[in-house]
Amino acid sequence: MIVSLIVVLPFAGAVLGLLLSRHPHGRDPAGNLAANKRAGLFGVVPTALSAGLTGWLVWENTPSTNVLTVIDTGGVAITVGLEVAELSVLTAMLVGVVALAVQVYSVGYMRGEIRYPSFSAFISLFTSAMLLVVFAADLMVLYVGWEIMGLCSYLLVGHWWEERANSRAAIKAFLVTRLGDVGFLFGIFVLGFAAGSFRISDVLAADIPTPTLVLATLLLLAGVAGKSAQVPLHTWLPDAMAGPTPISALIHAATMVAAGIFVVARLYVLFPQPTLDVLGVVAAIGMLGAALAAFAQNDLKRVLAYSTISQLAYMAAALAGGARDAAVFHLVTHGAFKALLFLCAGAVIHHVGSNLLHHMGGLRRAMPVTFWTMTVGYAALIGLPPASGFFSKDAVLYGLERSDSPIQLLLYGSALLTVGVTGAYATRAWLMTFFGTGKIQALPEPVPGTAHVFDGREAPATMLWPMGILAVPALLLGFTDAGEFHLAPAVTALVVALLGVAFVYVIWRGSPERDPARLLGAFRDPCEQAFYVDRLYAAVLVRPVLALARGVVRTDDEVVDGAVRGSGRATVGLSGLTRHLQNGNAQLYVTGVLAGVLLIAVGAVVLG
Amino acid sequence: MSVLLVALLVVPLLGAAALLVPGPLGRVAVRFGLTVSGAVFAVAVAAASAFDYSDAGTIQGTVDFAWIPWLGVRFHLGIDGISLPLVVLTALLTLLCLIYLAGHEPERARELVFALLVLELGMIGTFLSLDLLLFFVFFEVVLIPMYFVIAGWGGEGRRRAAYKFILYTLLGSAVLLVGLLYVWAQTGTLDMVRLAAEHPMSRSAQILAFVAIGLGLAVKTPMWPLHTWLPDAHTEAPTVGSVLLAGVLLKMGTYGFARVAIPVLPEGAAAVAPWLGALAVVGIVYGALACLAQRDLKRLIAYSSVGHMGFVLLGFATLTPVGINAALYGNVAHGLITGLLFFLVGAVKERYRTSDLDQLGSGLLGRLPYVGSLLTFACVASLGLPGLAGFWGEMLALQGAYEPAAGLSRPLFVTFMVIGGLGAVLTAAYFLVMLSRLTHGPWGGPGPSIHDATRVELTAWVPLVVLILVFGVWPSALLGLTTPAVQTLLGVP
Amino acid sequence: MHVVYPAVVAALLFSIGVYGVLARRNTILVLMSVELMLNAVNLNLIAFDVWLRDALHSGQVLTLFVIVIAAAEVGIGLAIVLAVFRTRRAIELDRLRDLGEP
Repeated sequence: MIVSLIVVLPFAGAVLGLLLSRHPHGRDPAGNLAANKRAGLFGVVPTALSAGLTGWLVWENTPSTNVLTVIDTGGVAITVGLEVAELSVLTAMLVGVVALAVQVYSVGYMRGEIRYPSFSAFISLFTSAMLLVVFAADLMVLYVGWEIMGLCSYLLVGHWWEERANSRAAIKAFLVTRLGDVGFLFGIFVLGFAAGSFRISDVLAADIPTPTLVLATLLLLAGVAGKSAQVPLHTWLPDAMAGPTPISALIHAATMVAAGIFVVARLYVLFPQPTLDVLGVVAAIGMLGAALAAFAQNDLKRVLAYSTISQLAYMAAALAGGARDAAVFHLVTHGAFKALLFLCAGAVIHHVGSNLLHHMGGLRRAMPVTFWTMTVGYAALIGLPPASGFFSKDAVLYGLERSDSPIQLLLYGSALLTVGVTGAYATRAWLMTFFGTGKIQALPEPVPGTAHVFDGREAPATMLWPMGILAVPALLLGFTDAGEFHLAPAVTALVVALLGVAFVYVIWRGSPERDPARLLGAFRDPCEQAFYVDRLYAAVLVRPVLALARGVVRTDDEVVDGAVRGSGRATVGLSGLTRHLQNGNAQLYVTGVLAGVLLIAVGAVVLG
Repeated sequence: MSVLLVALLVVPLLGAAALLVPGPLGRVAVRFGLTVSGAVFAVAVAAASAFDYSDAGTIQGTVDFAWIPWLGVRFHLGIDGISLPLVVLTALLTLLCLIYLAGHEPERARELVFALLVLELGMIGTFLSLDLLLFFVFFEVVLIPMYFVIAGWGGEGRRRAAYKFILYTLLGSAVLLVGLLYVWAQTGTLDMVRLAAEHPMSRSAQILAFVAIGLGLAVKTPMWPLHTWLPDAHTEAPTVGSVLLAGVLLKMGTYGFARVAIPVLPEGAAAVAPWLGALAVVGIVYGALACLAQRDLKRLIAYSSVGHMGFVLLGFATLTPVGINAALYGNVAHGLITGLLFFLVGAVKERYRTSDLDQLGSGLLGRLPYVGSLLTFACVASLGLPGLAGFWGEMLALQGAYEPAAGLSRPLFVTFMVIGGLGAVLTAAYFLVMLSRLTHGPWGGPGPSIHDATRVELTAWVPLVVLILVFGVWPSALLGLTTPAVQTLLGVP
Repeated sequence: MHVVYPAVVAALLFSIGVYGVLARRNTILVLMSVELMLNAVNLNLIAFDVWLRDALHSGQVLTLFVIVIAAAEVGIGLAIVLAVFRTRRAIELDRLRDLGEP
């Protein structure tokens, strides 16, 4: 019952927000303000209630299942129901807290924006969909929530649709994840048919032969790779940074991208070793590649986006190595600190009026609160004690070190290297943003895709409070799992991370005005372009499909319709031939009659 | 109940006949048509409430009397779980079309309303008839009024489009008639109920008959490669013509599969099903690719119909309960969604006098917020997003293809499923690209004379939006009707 | 005599008539050939009437019918030929193609 409320409340908020938002806004500014305030209420209150109820579920900690109805499709039945399990409650808590923080933050970030009501309504819809995924008792219900999240991602990334680039980024986000989702759906079919039911508890308990499991889980991995932005379906995430920063924090850091990892963790017993190996290889490549790409980016949000891909690959590697609990722990801490980092980045961007690192500098005096909260976030990202990231990375590394996966060495080595590169890029971003001399130029109007122009002050309170509140778990969450702390891997990780930090710091110190990434030299461009994967896809997938589409239109017009038109012309042509029989010469007609009579007479005589 | 079924046919007939009488009715033709179609809709709703939902698999409200005794043709009507949603859909769409016309008064209104009422008669008659020749008669009745609607009130290329439409579908109907007559010659009866229960034909006869009947229905559906009449007809037809063409006429073809081809000729269906499935998935991918490169909005939606009907045919080809459920669900969903799409595109075309994407410019969400948001909603529904009606048709069709009926090649159908899935991705691609081109992008501020959706238009569109949502989140509403009927149809206990 | 003799003569006359109808250009000659065909038929009718010893003499009766109808037909045919000659100054049958396709 409570579970249903948790899922339905944000949905109700979304519906009310969409219907009662007085959209389109009229010319009356007072009316617009009232509509925005109403929308803010519809956004914040249901999310807060939902998060509160989730907290109560965490406290109560009893598993339960709520079934609404069973849909009989004539094939495998679909159970519409919600299930409470420990993993679900934990993830739901993360979702609830981050969603609430983002809703409150958006009130400040999108102040005065005329499309704010639909923005907050879509965020509520997204929250409801994510909670549906988390609490789903049935694979099909999970899929429904999964796809609705994809839709909300499209609607929100394309929020400032006046810019073509934002629209394209939204399409890319939706299509790349949809491609993965088709595989996901097929994986669900395989599992459902093998188990005779789509219900997750039935599927987990069913006795499914291993080859079927390998096929099913590989298909599920396609969807996971799409939603969690793993290689090769990761290209949408950096472009999705075109959306407003609050949704980058919610969707592209803490929740939707975590949904893939969540699904693997939920169905973990089903994943056989071959699939986990595939996941591990993908994760190892993604971890290091994304970290290197993050180091070379000029746009602060893109740094954080590649960082997200890298950290998600970290969790995937943990899952591949058999350390499910470590992966989930890192999921929660990453959700907290990455959301925090994005919100702080939003405050910085809001202040400076630009996303680019070389427009920032020396902000620690102008924005002290932001500086300290962002430092906490970066510390967690790098894995410095006592921040939560330190403990969760330790757990992951410990799990990888002791894993009996065939590719254990690859996973562990890649993870360790990534820790170093993570330290490097995080330090670079931190230094270039907050230290050095200020490069703020007062831009006459905001760069398209950013919310506000420079106003020289710290961010408003509605933005600072969520940042502060998120900084608490980012700092302290590690201590909840303190019983499982392992010294040796922790020290190794710390040493490697500090190496990366120190390296960048020394370089930066040498000339504070220049970008430390110049050290990559010729390697910088490939890193910045994320190893040209985008261009590869455009050449191998996008352009051929568009050319094929044009070819199909031509074929349809010339060949298929040509056959139809040709049949008409052929008929007319044929009649053109036969009409020559009617040449007006009566003697020809009589000859014809004679021939016919002769034939009939012969026929009558021969055939009797 | 039988009275209601007869009333469903008599009311539009009387309404059309009343319009033939010269007099003052011509001046208030649209309002009169609105009353008549409202009455038909009320009767349809009454039939839906009088329907026994626990017994959805059996024919209800039977009307059966001899029509041409010396030929053995009977006037046999009836309704069950398969036809009920389609009848209500037809009545609803016709009513909404007339509401739309009330806001956009056409020229020669009397003739247009007459054509629409005769069209309604034909459409409802097709869904109600249970005698093969009666079915054929109603099937044909819709061709003439639709020809006139396209030729009389259409766009610039309307003559050619109308000719192509009527000649092509007439050719299909001729082949269909040959098939039906062959069935009659082989079995001696025209009664669909008896034929479905007894299956008296031999296997080779069934295959022959299925190919003939299937070809005829395939032109109407439309199935690749017999689809080329559709883009021109849809593009040149007026808004109400396109809505009814896409929303109902296409359903008549697929309904024929569900009512005539598969129940009466099961072995023929099993033999031809792989071909049907193959052509269906080709249609899905072909339609999607053709949409990607389209410049004209109405043509794009027309090709999208080819794709959606591909999913419906794939569902039929699997010959499983879940597949045929999918096909019937997809039918209703497509009727609602594409009807809404054509209404919206018609509204855009009427305001800007063009439906060419290059000329329409960008930023529709800014210029016409309600129309733009509803267009986004309709496109998202059409690409099969879960939570909206289109999802169930597509997903269940793919599910049916994963495990087709016994006797059909499983690897072949799984290949179809994969291709269909890729087609779904391409569907999403073209809709989003179209939306990006049209609704996103810079706009120069609201124009002086272009107004957003009027109250009349919203009255016509909101019921469709609500139904798309209802059938998206509550699939059992429709599945509860069709599942028993499908099980009766397939002979599954 | 045996019926073969008049039958063969009638067949020969009929063939000559057919040749005349199909191959001659002058319309009056065509009409005369039609007369020849009709008279060949008459000869056939009478020969078979005698050979079959028909009680009702249906052959001879039919012959009288044919003679009358042939006379009427030739009258109308010659009138048409005269009308055509008056308007076109030519009566070659293969030149009269107005009802043909262009």
